[in-house]
Amino acid sequence: MNLLGTDPLFVNGVSWAVVLIVVVKVVVAFAVLMGAVTMMIWFERKAISDMQSRIGPNRVGPWGLLQSLADGIKLFFKEDLIPAEADRFVFKLAPYLVVVPAFLIFTVVPVGGQVTLFGHTFDLQVADPPMGILLVLACSGIAVYGVMLAGWASGSKYPLMSSVRASAQMISYEAAMGMNVVTVLLVANTLSTRGIVASQGGSILHWNLIRTGFVPFVLFLIAVTAELNRPPFDVVEADSELVGGFNTEYSSIRFALFYLAEFMNTITMSAIMVTLFFGGPAGPIPNIPHLRWVFPILWFTVKVVAFCFMYIWFRAALPRMRYDQLMDLGWKRLIPLSLAWMLLVAAAITNWRWAIGVLAAIIIAAVLLLRAFDLGGARELEDQAVLPSIGARPLPGYVLRQLTDAEEVED
Amino acid sequence: MVEQKAVDTYLPVLLLLIVGILFASLSFVASGLLAPRKKPTAAKLAPYECGIVPDREPPTRFPVRFYLVAMIFIIFDIEIVFMYPFAVVFRQLHTFGLVEVLTFSVTIFVALLFLVSNGALSWGPAKILTKGMPSRTSDSTIVRISAATSTEQAA
Repeated sequence: MNLLGTDPLFVNGVSWAVVLIVVVKVVVAFAVLMGAVTMMIWFERKAISDMQSRIGPNRVGPWGLLQSLADGIKLFFKEDLIPAEADRFVFKLAPYLVVVPAFLIFTVVPVGGQVTLFGHTFDLQVADPPMGILLVLACSGIAVYGVMLAGWASGSKYPLMSSVRASAQMISYEAAMGMNVVTVLLVANTLSTRGIVASQGGSILHWNLIRTGFVPFVLFLIAVTAELNRPPFDVVEADSELVGGFNTEYSSIRFALFYLAEFMNTITMSAIMVTLFFGGPAGPIPNIPHLRWVFPILWFTVKVVAFCFMYIWFRAALPRMRYDQLMDLGWKRLIPLSLAWMLLVAAAITNWRWAIGVLAAIIIAAVLLLRAFDLGGARELEDQAVLPSIGARPLPGYVLRQLTDAEEVED
Repeated sequence: MVEQKAVDTYLPVLLLLIVGILFASLSFVASGLLAPRKKPTAAKLAPYECGIVPDREPPTRFPVRFYLVAMIFIIFDIEIVFMYPFAVVFRQLHTFGLVEVLTFSVTIFVALLFLVSNGALSWGPAKILTKGMPSRTSDSTIVRISAATSTEQAA
């Protein structure tokens, strides 16, 4: 493993030209992200309304394209309210904790190939730190703090319940998510996102989707959907139970930042999924002079948009899961499955004898786990948990009174 | 020199961090300038509960399962933290690495088995009242008011 930076931009140390390129990259990435978020919000609203036989936004700009921009501007002009019960400092801090990690995750995503400009070769990627993929996990961990503190600081019942639910859900699925990342790393042998993409070079058969055997991708997809609190795992904002989730008390621009972070995370997690399993910017490049660098970006965009559409489709098609089902899925299915598949991939890399041995061990473990499910289920149904029979329940006072009153009137 | 190079690659991350914080802070400044500055009424400042006046504090006690999940998560997260270095140097370690990680996984798996069989990870509603109450029938619980009154009237 190369612990040094592999970014060709930093090979000769940091000079002013390098800093300038970095600044340009950061500003471009920021602008692209903001643009992508407004487009994503528009896309989601439009696609959902098509699926529900509605028209959706169509007033602001052509096909309603500027709707999210208009909404954003409107929110700037709205009254900024801090509820009386709120913990003022933490209440103000929480939006930062949610938005800033959302920006940072995108830094490690390779968007395209290498470009040489003004004598400097650099990656089309904001940063390529040697521990790239760990940065993603760290940032998604920090976002949990934002959600938790936002709900707690609101000083209101429903946001608090929502944020406790949210943090339990997010940390549960983080474990499953991390385990599937490990499977990818076993195959790719590096933590750097550019390295992971490079290891998938060649044909479609080299994509980690195929090389890790498809299962980790499915598990990762489920875990990420839960991590993002997207439907069908959006118990956090279950409108029918909790008023509107952890950001109920937030208004004006503070609310806008939560909303922004949510959609930004959807986009970046799609991008991470493309990087880990779908070869990132890999794809056929036609031999057109001066335009060869465009095609990787194009392929990357197509793949990310496909995933964004899938999330929207989830929202339109799948009913929300109950909280206990959600936790069961996370702890009792996803985590053991990811662990088993990771060990299987590791054994298969070593040699086939080990693979068969580990497979046998996994089958035994699965039987044990099923037995444990039974035992755990029986624990919920202990004899002493059943209430003793109390016979006919007496009628409530107000019903009795109504009955006697009615008789008196009729007489 | 070597360390410095690895740190250099985090420069863009740092810059984007600054840009992100600036964006959020400037949004608040802009909102402060553009938003109406009225003194909100007490009703507006009250916790939002769909128009119902809140009559009690937000709960300070939570179902213990949430704490359980947080504690169990720490164990599993630490497990995964150990997996990353293993995954990266796996090709160099070969069979030794595989045996090590299998042993490690077995201990974690036994912990998971213990938790699951104790019902620590069961979130369902407490399944009480499932055996039913033989003495409760529709005759004892439903009062037929209309029938009673109609017989009285007939009499």
